[in-house]
Amino acid sequence: MTDNSEIITRMTGLLYPFILLFGFYIILNGHASPGGGFQGGAVLAAVFITRYLVDPNRCIRLRTLKTAEKILFVCIILYPTFFLFSATANHTELMNLIYLIAMNFLIGLKVCSGFTIIFFRFAFYEGGIL
Amino acid sequence: MTTNILLITLVVLAIIALNTKKLRRAVVYLGVFSLISSFLYLLYGAPDVAIAEAVIGTTITTVLYLVALKKYQIFTIYFCSDPNDPNRRNLTNNSPFLNSLESFLVKREMEPQIIYSEKPIKTILTQDKFDLAICQTDQKFWIYGSVDDYQLDALEDHLLTNHGDLNIHLIRYTEGDDNEA
Repeated sequence: MTDNSEIITRMTGLLYPFILLFGFYIILNGHASPGGGFQGGAVLAAVFITRYLVDPNRCIRLRTLKTAEKILFVCIILYPTFFLFSATANHTELMNLIYLIAMNFLIGLKVCSGFTIIFFRFAFYEGGIL
Repeated sequence: MTTNILLITLVVLAIIALNTKKLRRAVVYLGVFSLISSFLYLLYGAPDVAIAEAVIGTTITTVLYLVALKKYQIFTIYFCSDPNDPNRRNLTNNSPFLNSLESFLVKREMEPQIIYSEKPIKTILTQDKFDLAICQTDQKFWIYGSVDDYQLDALEDHLLTNHGDLNIHLIRYTEGDDNEA
């Protein structure tokens, strides 16, 4: 893994946009088809992990990811509570749809940053030499 | 029918992964295991579980295990022999000498990694990073190891007791010297 192969570098470079597209498709279409926030987030995290395989020495902003994860966590807690307590009168179909998509999106981003943090902490701090 | 075959394959792969000596191979078998199990989830009608299993089990866990294996001690052995020797290939693939060396290293909790090379021994000694370099010239084994390596004494004992007939020469060198021996 330390010396990079040319084939892997080029092919994963080609594959990035498709993996990203697939991840966002799984997240945004999660209410209607199989998948959802967790699965899509894991697919998105695979992008960062393959980036480590391509170029191990390129640094990643772990601190930004950590703050993003915390903010997303607070959002995930706050949004359902507001949704449940504010509009108690009548939940229309459209509102439910928006709620589901937004929750899936938040959870997807949270899972993506969480997986990336776990992986890079493990790789950089536990893996020794890189 | 297909599900039955796949379920049996799962059991077989699990047993193989448990019984392999090399950890890296076990990791690869585990990756195949989770790929097949994700296909099974798909057949049983749970596509979202299948996606999660494919991404987490196959990609993330495999890469994590491979990174963890880097922490594990890897003992690199360079094996170089004369490229003109006609029966070189079956010798390198299946030699009892290398097999016993590997089992010795496994017993001492190290992961042997053997690199077959056709470069002359001098360039390997000066350029590459290795723990042990083995050079074979007509029934003689020249083994190069660093003086600082504390495993070398036990290795020498093991080799002399088990392969005393093989004409083995062990050479200790200090790093940075040029090695005329």
